[in-house]
Amino acid sequence: MNFLKRGLLSITRRKGKSLILLAVLFILGNVIAGAISISQATANVEESIKDKLGTAATVELDYEELESMDESEMMNFEIQNLDEELINQIGELPYVKYYDYNTTTYLASEEIDSYNGMEEEDGEYIEQGMGMEFQLKGVNYAPVLDIEEGKSNLVEGRVFTEEEIENGTPVAIISKKLAEKNNIQVGDTLSLMNQIYEFSESGEEEITDSRDVPLEVVGIFEPQTVNTDSENQEQADFMDMELQNTIYVANEIVSQEIKYSVGDQAEYEDYFIPAFVLNKPEDAEAFEEEVTPLLPELFIVRHATDSYESIAAPIESMSTLSKYVLIVSIITTILIIGLVVLLFLRDRKHELGIYLSLGESRIRVIGQIVTEVLIVSIIGMTLSLFTGNLLAQTVSDSMIDNDNNNQREEQMYYSEMQTDLTTDDVLEAYEVNLTGEFILLFYAVGIITILLSTLIPLIYIIRLNPKKIMM
Amino acid sequence: MILETKELNYYYQDGESRRFVLKDTNVSFDKGKFYTILGQSGSGKTTLLSLLSAMDTPHNGEVVFDGKNILEIGHDNYRRNKVGIIFQSYNLIPTFTAVENVLVSMSITENELPDDHKTVAYNLLDYIGISQDKANRTVNKLSGGEQQRVAIARALSTNVELILADEPTGNLDEGMEQEIIDIFKKLAHEHNKCVIMVTHSNDIAMQSEQTFYLKKGVLNTNE
Ligand SMILES: Nc1ncnc2c1ncn2[C@@H]1O[C@H](COP(=O)(O)OP(=O)(O)O)[C@@H](O)[C@H]1O
Ligand SMILES: [Mg+2]
Repeated sequence: MNFLKRGLLSITRRKGKSLILLAVLFILGNVIAGAISISQATANVEESIKDKLGTAATVELDYEELESMDESEMMNFEIQNLDEELINQIGELPYVKYYDYNTTTYLASEEIDSYNGMEEEDGEYIEQGMGMEFQLKGVNYAPVLDIEEGKSNLVEGRVFTEEEIENGTPVAIISKKLAEKNNIQVGDTLSLMNQIYEFSESGEEEITDSRDVPLEVVGIFEPQTVNTDSENQEQADFMDMELQNTIYVANEIVSQEIKYSVGDQAEYEDYFIPAFVLNKPEDAEAFEEEVTPLLPELFIVRHATDSYESIAAPIESMSTLSKYVLIVSIITTILIIGLVVLLFLRDRKHELGIYLSLGESRIRVIGQIVTEVLIVSIIGMTLSLFTGNLLAQTVSDSMIDNDNNNQREEQMYYSEMQTDLTTDDVLEAYEVNLTGEFILLFYAVGIITILLSTLIPLIYIIRLNPKKIMM
Repeated sequence: MILETKELNYYYQDGESRRFVLKDTNVSFDKGKFYTILGQSGSGKTTLLSLLSAMDTPHNGEVVFDGKNILEIGHDNYRRNKVGIIFQSYNLIPTFTAVENVLVSMSITENELPDDHKTVAYNLLDYIGISQDKANRTVNKLSGGEQQRVAIARALSTNVELILADEPTGNLDEGMEQEIIDIFKKLAHEHNKCVIMVTHSNDIAMQSEQTFYLKKGVLNTNE
């Protein structure tokens, strides 16, 4: 009949009180389990979405800052260019896995047709003459960052070699759709056309000069499209079209073509947009800290994960709320269970005095009471584990519905790091699950809370005077 | 000599002054004897017993068990292993059965006991006059006399040589009272225990080998 057995016996002999305690624990357990469920689900969304957003970063002009300047300030401000040297310097930092910088131009073609998306299929598409439909995207990173990062897959052929990039060899990687439409195979040569326009007095544009840009196709890629909701279908189609008509070449080629089209009118300086892929998401902060001082005025570091906050607002607010609920419910539990147990102990004063008069150590008496409370708690927690998790699902579903109906804030500025993931992708990723991790966390939080709540009654036991009780 | 007190003093603080319940008390007890301490209500009998049983600590002087100050033995240790206490109000755990109440003290003591606690407890209860059937009842379903027997069995269960009882028959009728006294006599004479019983009844006191009279904080061997 050691103190553990005594505790068990006490629970079964005082069924009424055990049940009251169980009921209180069950209710509080539901709140705690619910809060933990939601907070874990939101954390999981953040992790998985940030994972999807990747570790890419770029350096770009802070448009918002620029906008906030007054006119005279703006007039005097000269936007500097990011030079290759700085990009390389940043790219060589230890946080960077690999990096690229791109310069882009648009070219036309007489020989091949551009891919025109879905419209094509219903035959209503009207040929608009020869436009600059092909995005010539210069790269410096031979394996092509978009392919390396999984945004596109190389389905045929190969990527560039270092020499091709360095020498500006006229080789290209084109999309599968474009290749199919024009029946182009790897090894074929396609011809683009660089045209110089001039506006005549009547306002009509006139091609004053043009030259062929022949490119040998060495690889074919297929973009990995993200599912988007129907609301943005139009925009998605447009973005897809742009991507399908993108032709990857070496930066040097783009640079040459821009120089040709600009002519001698101006001194042309290459304009590069850098992209840095970091080793680990955790490196983002250190990377930013180190890079920011190196940048020209008004340039800032942007991370792909920056857009998380803007697309995950409903989840973020739920995450904050669940954390508050968790803290408040833990404090409430400590107080309520502490007081309920204290009340029950006052009823059992006599029993406790008897143990002490028989020479039982106070530690063991405390051990017995803690055991009793813990046993009932674990039963109550186990019951509320499932219901609390269900509760969390229901509550968060209705919270998401509510939040989703509120107008979403549109992002005003276009950033290179803008994602094609939307709030709906985030909400879709949100899932309240009964995971092992949740169960462990719940029991850990629960048991610690219960132990804290028994501190109040413990003081009572320590102060008990058996002589006063019994003699 | 199993137990003695040396210059025992105990008082209650009454504002500025001290009201002494025990003054320089010296007394000693032997094994194999049945002692009574007689005194009027409020004379300090319970106070004395609480000091002898280490439920309280004297302000001055010492309680010596087997030649050792009980402070040295440790109060918890002393209560656990050296002494059995019987209270006027039984003090049994009401939600437990009789046998469970006995088992509680057997699990607390560190004294050498036979392995099969249950059998020992049932036998002990039977010896004291509680049948197995009654032993399995929760104690609030037993009469006062039966409850006090369970309390005696509990005090004996830890195999101690010293039994202290504070007016154990105070709540019992006369017939029951005599049966309890007979048990105490048997414990002293047949089992060589030292039994010290507090009472305010002259009749009971007359049945003991030695009676101490407590009056105005002083313990005397005659009235
Ligand atoms: N906690 C206390 N505070 C003050 N006086 C007390 C307290 N307990 C007992 N007393 C007093 O001490 C005296 C002895 O009490 P007690 O030992 O219980 O006597 P008895 O058991 O002989 O009736 C009494 O006068 C009682 O009023
Ligand atoms: Mg008394």
